[in-house]
Order: sequence, then C-alpha cells, then structure tokens
Amino acid sequence: MKPGKEGRPVKRKKSYKNGMLLIPFFLLAAMFLIVPLAMMIGSSFTSETDGNFTWNNYIEVLMNPFYTQAFKNSVLISVLSSIAGLAAAVVVSYFMTNLPEKIQEKITVFINLSANFAGVPLAFGFIILLGNSGVFRILFQSLHMPVLDHFNLYSWQGLVLAYLYFQIPLGILFIYPSLRKIRKEWKESAYLLGASDLKYWRLVGLPNIMPSIAGTFVILFANSMGTYETAYALTGSNFNLITVRIAALISGDIYARPIIGSTLAVLFAAVMIAILALSQIMLKRIRRDLV
Amino acid sequence: MKRKKSRFLTYAVLALFALYMVLPVLSTILYALSTKWSNTILPRDLTLSWFAELFSDASFISAVARSLALTLTTVAVVLIVMVPSVFLTYMYFPRIDRFMSGLVLMPYAIPGVILATGLLKMYAGTALPMYMVLVGGLFISALPFMYQGVRNSLESIQTRQLMEASELLGAGKIRTFMKIIVPNIKLGLLVTTLLIFSVFFGEFVLTNLMLGGRFETIRIYMLRRMNENGHLASAVMLIYFLLLMMISLYITYITSRKKVKKKPADVQTWLGTANQNKEGAVNELHHNQ
Repeated sequence: MKPGKEGRPVKRKKSYKNGMLLIPFFLLAAMFLIVPLAMMIGSSFTSETDGNFTWNNYIEVLMNPFYTQAFKNSVLISVLSSIAGLAAAVVVSYFMTNLPEKIQEKITVFINLSANFAGVPLAFGFIILLGNSGVFRILFQSLHMPVLDHFNLYSWQGLVLAYLYFQIPLGILFIYPSLRKIRKEWKESAYLLGASDLKYWRLVGLPNIMPSIAGTFVILFANSMGTYETAYALTGSNFNLITVRIAALISGDIYARPIIGSTLAVLFAAVMIAILALSQIMLKRIRRDLV
Repeated sequence: MKRKKSRFLTYAVLALFALYMVLPVLSTILYALSTKWSNTILPRDLTLSWFAELFSDASFISAVARSLALTLTTVAVVLIVMVPSVFLTYMYFPRIDRFMSGLVLMPYAIPGVILATGLLKMYAGTALPMYMVLVGGLFISALPFMYQGVRNSLESIQTRQLMEASELLGAGKIRTFMKIIVPNIKLGLLVTTLLIFSVFFGEFVLTNLMLGGRFETIRIYMLRRMNENGHLASAVMLIYFLLLMMISLYITYITSRKKVKKKPADVQTWLGTANQNKEGAVNELHHNQ
C-alpha cells in the first residue's frame, strides 16, 4: 500500500484493530506453551530443599544410572525401530510402485487407517498375539517349534515390534512419494546408456532418494523417542524409558519428584531439538552436495 | 520370466506387510467377539454379549461423554481462535506470520510428556481447574495441523485477490471474511476439523498425566478395562476403531473429491509435508505417543 496523506492514519488504526484480534492466540500460546516451558526450565535449576538456584539436579540426574539408563533405552529402541522401520518402508514402498496406480492409492488409504490403531489398542493387539498365552505362542507350542522361546513381548524386543506398527506406515508416508518421483524414464535412459541395475541405483536412484531417507530417519527417530502411550500400555512403568520415567516423576503418587522430572524433561527436550536442528543442517549439506 | 518372478515377489512382500498390519486388528476383533479365548489357537465360540455388557456399563457411557465433551470444547476453541488468527497474519502481518509458523512447529519437537511436565509445573495446585489446563494443552498440540490446514486452504483459494476484489466492490473486511472467505475454505476447514477431532478423541498422554483417573476418557477407560477384562476392552477398541475409521474414510472421500493435489514429500520441508499429507502423517505423529 502506498503511504498517502489520508491513507496513513486509517491504515494504522485498522492494523491496530486487526492486531487486537491476535491477542487470544498469543495469550493461549504464552499460557500453555511458552510460560510453562520457561517455568519448567526454571524449576530444573531450583533446589528441592530450599528453593535456591542450583546445578545439583543436573548433577544428580547425570550421575544416577537409573536416569541415564532411561535415556540409553529410549535411544536404543528408537534407533532399532527407526532403522528397521525405514528399511521396511523402503522395501514396501518400492514394491508398491510396481502395482497399478489405482491399487497404490487404495493401499495408501489402508495404511492411513492404521494410524487410528496405535497406543493402547496396539499394545493389546500384540498381547493377544504374542503375550504370555498369545495365539502364536500356543500355535508354535502345538507345532513343537521353539520359535518364540526367546522372545519376550514385555521387553525391548516387544517394544520394537510394536513401535514398528506405526514406524513403517509413517516411513512409507514420506518414502513412497519420493520413490514415485524417480521416473521410469530415468531408469530406461540409464539402461539405454548402458548402465547396469546396480550402477543405476548407485548413481541415479539412491542419490535422488537419499535426502528423503535421511530426513525420514530423523522423523522416525524423533517419533519413537517421544512415544509414551504404547510403551506404557505394554510394559506399565517396568521398562525404563525416558518418557515413562518423566511421567512417573511428575504424576506418580508415591515417587513424584516434579523438579527432577523437569530436569529430565529439559535434557530430553534439548536432545530432541539438537537432533532436529542437526538433521536440518545435514540435509542442507546433502542437498548442496547433490547439486 | 523375470517379470513373473518380480510380480510374485511384489505380492509376497506386500502380503507379508498386510498380514503384519492386519493381525493385531483381527485378533482384537476376534477377542471382542468370543466368550473365552485362552490356550487355544482360535476362540471356541462367538458372542455379542461383551457389547451388550459394555453398553449397560455406566462408566463406559460417561467415558464416551467425557471424551466427546473434551473434544468438542477443544475443537471449538481451536477453530474460534485459529481461523481468524491465521487469516489475519496471512493477509496483514507477514512478519508475525513468520514468527507464528516457527512457533506452531514447537509441539513437533516437544513430545506430550514434556508439555505435560511444564503445564503441571505451572498449574498444579492453582485456582485454574486442570480441565481448563488440559484444553489449553490440547490447543497447543493441535497448532501444527490447524495452522497448516487453514493456511493451505487460504492459499488454495487465492485469498488475497478475493479480498481485494470484494473490497473494490465495496464490501468491508469482516463481511468479506464471513461471506466470501469462510464459505470458500469450508471443505478445507472440515477436513482439518475432522482430523483434530480424531486426534483429540484418542488423546491419552496429556489427559492421563494431568487428570488420570479423575477424568476417565475413552482411552483411559480402555487401559483400565484392558487390565481387568480383555474381552470388554477389545469391544471398546473395536467400536472406537470403527468410529475413527469412518472419520478417516470420510476425510479421504472429501479430499479426493476435492481433487486436492498432494505435493510429493520433500525432505527439506518435511515438517510442512507432514501437514500436507493430512490424513495420515498427522494422525501418526499424534496417536502413537
């Protein structure tokens, strides 16, 4: 808008009035996001006994093997479920692109539906199948096949298997569109120019989907790090994950230690933000190298 | 020969994947429909008695009512606050818009457990009822979808030109917004609303941490029943799953009828992409927590 002699005051008055309408949004964002997080950070530096500033909460958390184990377990399960989920997503997406268009679309709808079956229902579905008296256990027992003898659903193995149920579809959601972008024509051109299957994938296919794969890995990793419901429904508080630990510290009746919970939450948030920031930097670099 | 082999492989891999995806759902359905199912591979008999028992259970009915009340309140707050805000920043405050687009991404980086920690820290023991705090927390968790949903709708109808044209014809801003913009983005808003409806209806983390047993929503009821009576729990899950499935299918139906072209996932903008692939990604990111 051109600043005219008459236009100016009117515009300022209008934009002031319009700006007032943004107050509810910023008020809610401040009340339920910014200030609570700031207070959480503040409380992580507050002494549990006298309320003064202290680093002791961080020292306690980092020295306590129980808390560091929670971090380690979360990272372990997230890495495993992200790698396996990503691999499965790539394979399934690749084979999906072999099918006729119409069927591909139907499969995508079907995959999206599964999102509604996460958390408590997912945990219970797996308990019916693989729990202590699960269907597959009985099946393999009656066949005298010791397939599941070393499998424990209520341990890291079960958690990874259950996490995959949402990790694979989430991975497909990102991998599948980028695999579709790799044109058939490229492959044909490469073959015409004498490239082998392997050479095509090494020089054309993989470099093209590599950024997607790296980005998807980060999404899957962040997603499983933050997962609470599925783990809680499957193992209660028995399996020591960072989300489960924080939840127990802030809402448990007997063991509630909200300040230590805040400290863990701050460290956890720092890890998550660092991972996401690092991935953005890395992706930029990958893109630059590609160009 | 080679083609035949690769086709076989395609179907084998996809069938295996389908089996993995379907088996947990199938087992839950069978569990809900059987009187007793233990120590056998398949249930001995089929029954609908668990559903009858469920519907005569007052605590189930009130759990559904609580979930509905919570969901509808929050959806209303989100719509009333977010639609005008996103519209205004999009049209008149590009600087604030840049800030806002960063702010609304925060819930992605911060899992529900962390948000709950902050909210409990600030509001536990204060005069503000926890129910209100929960609505506030859910509002925050819906920000990424709502912002992106409204924005995509606004961009798709060329809002700026519409506003200009309407003002040239002498209509005021508010009138244009109510009579031209809102009716034009109605479908987009409906999709986003249904989406956050299903996210809120299945919410667990914030509700359980902040109110827990004091406010038994459908998801918390499910968990309690799961530890008491698996058959009854399965019946709840089945009803819940059918309801959300219908919503998801309806969303798919609207979006495909609208012929909304989904942009292919581009990793550099993956956060935005998650919102564009609305039906799935967003559900995913939230439901599994």
